[in-house]
Amino acid sequence: VSGLGARLRQVRIERRDRVHPALVVVVPLVSVLAALLFAAAFLALTGHDPLRVYREMLRVSFTTGYGIADTLVSATPLVLTGLAAAVAFRFRLYNIGGEGQLYVGAIAAAGAAIAVGEALPGPLAVLVTVLAGALGGMAWIAVPAIARAWLGTSEIITSLLLNYVALFVMRYLVFGSRSPWRDPASTTFPQGRRIPDAAELARLGTTRIHLGLLVAVVVALALYVVITRTRWGFTWRVYGDSPAAARYAGISARRVVLVVLLLSGALAGLAGAGEVAGRAARLDPQGLALGLGYTGIIVAALARYNPLAVLPVAALLGGVLNAGPALQSLPGARVPVAISTMLTGAILLFALAGELFVRYRLRLRDPDDAASAAEEVLAADHGPTAGVGATSAEVER
Amino acid sequence: VSDSVVILTLAAAVGAGTPLALAALGALLSERSGVLNLGIEGIMLVGAVTAFLAADASGRPLVGLAAGALAGGAFTVLHAFLCITMRANQIVSGLALVILGTGVATFLGQPVEGQPLSARLSGTPIPGLSEVPVLGRILFSHDVVVYGTWVLVALTAFYLLRTRTGLAVRAVGESPATADVMGIRVAAVRYAHVIASGLLAGAGGAYVILARVPAWAQAGTTNGIGWIAIALVVFASWRPWRALAGAYLFGAALRANFALQAAGVRGIPAELLAMLPYLLTILVLLVLSASDVRQRLGAPAALGVPYVRDER
Repeated sequence: VSGLGARLRQVRIERRDRVHPALVVVVPLVSVLAALLFAAAFLALTGHDPLRVYREMLRVSFTTGYGIADTLVSATPLVLTGLAAAVAFRFRLYNIGGEGQLYVGAIAAAGAAIAVGEALPGPLAVLVTVLAGALGGMAWIAVPAIARAWLGTSEIITSLLLNYVALFVMRYLVFGSRSPWRDPASTTFPQGRRIPDAAELARLGTTRIHLGLLVAVVVALALYVVITRTRWGFTWRVYGDSPAAARYAGISARRVVLVVLLLSGALAGLAGAGEVAGRAARLDPQGLALGLGYTGIIVAALARYNPLAVLPVAALLGGVLNAGPALQSLPGARVPVAISTMLTGAILLFALAGELFVRYRLRLRDPDDAASAAEEVLAADHGPTAGVGATSAEVER
Repeated sequence: VSDSVVILTLAAAVGAGTPLALAALGALLSERSGVLNLGIEGIMLVGAVTAFLAADASGRPLVGLAAGALAGGAFTVLHAFLCITMRANQIVSGLALVILGTGVATFLGQPVEGQPLSARLSGTPIPGLSEVPVLGRILFSHDVVVYGTWVLVALTAFYLLRTRTGLAVRAVGESPATADVMGIRVAAVRYAHVIASGLLAGAGGAYVILARVPAWAQAGTTNGIGWIAIALVVFASWRPWRALAGAYLFGAALRANFALQAAGVRGIPAELLAMLPYLLTILVLLVLSASDVRQRLGAPAALGVPYVRDER
């Protein structure tokens, strides 16, 4: 063991000058495989047959026409919550309230559809519903965003705690009161009131794939262009890489924080609107509380916060989520639905570990080199301190 | 009569605040060494499900408590490894822990969902002290975990603020490079304190199922108190005794429905009462950051930043 320890101490971790493009694809794929192995071990230990579970997962989500359609339906909100997380996390603004913003987006969309859906012509009713969803999500991040921009309150905990508040609001509207969101005909088993047909999103042929998927893809493309090609995106990137540099460049940190977080909230709210207008056609508190907002964070991390990469990653995780309920009814096995959550959580952990190999390379140290390494440390200690801020900012990411 | 309502409410606040205090103490230890542990909620759930299964199998609540703490500590090794050895983003790693922990707990807890635990922790009033008017009822008529938490808080406060090792821990959290030069093993200190945070959060989760909630309710068992515990550390300016006081304060908010019902207030929707602790936490965070800079002064300077010796 001590031999191994000595050997390990010979390993030097060096920062790569630039990220190798192949690694950006290979590392997430390896993370997914590693997570599958981890979950397989867990399944085997708890008395399930991992091969059977994975075969069923493939069948339900990826290898049949029906399965792929269902996967895309599940992926639609994940693209949007994934973008919501990506646009914030990319600039080191940690909106982890996507879950709550999705609920409030759904509440706002359902409310708008019920209020004006009958009165407006179809396309306009849809537009109002979808916009209401985005505004709802935006409203739900407003307090954390303003507090972060003006008071410096960390947005992490405030945005997260509002998820619980949103969940209780949603439950209250459908289960706890006789609100306009509740179906007045449902007395014993309360459920959401159906939204008018005019406000529903169009579907592709006979499948359950809805217009929301197209919207999500267009938003992803647009976001990519905004971040990489526009002045706005440039100021966000400067702020994200180094708030200090942004300050010297005259970029208003407040404006960046506010705009990015509100945009993030709007995207999550849009996901909620899509679930109401494209999927359930009502405010469905049980059906919405699947952790779509949290899974969006995993989507974003696996996509390394790149809006275009969010699309394939959302499809992959959409398939994993979609397979959960089917696995539970696997004859004679009854694998808990939570296997999906476990699997996505494990994927994120492995992807995080893999990040090291994207940003650094491992190199065996020459034993004779130890002295020069010590010198390097000393040199670093006494080296110029300018740029330390930028370096630590880089490390943190 | 109103007197006894107040006393009962305060006693309930101490009980409800105990898992918060344990988890906050854990988060505080990890943060003092410079590592943010946002995974508390997931760790608590892992601790809670393990405690349920162990207590159910053994028939002994204290076995459940130990198993829950150990499971929490073991689970948190993942976070320590990712943040310290793999230099991962501590925020995202913590979230990963919450998601994986929730998944593991709901997976293992599925067969017992909705089931009450038979081997619950019973009360052990302290002889003599529990008969003291008012205070006896509020403070000394609880179970061993409540008293144990006081001991842990006292030990932690002494350890962090009065011992050489504690000084080393604080040095690692404030300036790891300086600590490194002083010969302190930064990575070892951080591993130890991150894992300690897991042990404490695991114990907190275990206490929730052993004494607080009537039945296993999947992720609803802890229902976000792990996040409130993290906010409590800010509220307490990274000081153990303040964390305990804050935990009891928030414990009172968690039991607000009980207090209002006892006081004869009716007609407030259950959902509104349920969201009260979360709103209160947000409000406190806002007021803290608006009112003074003490919160920033209290935060360990190197919190959230991985330490890499040759890359400073």
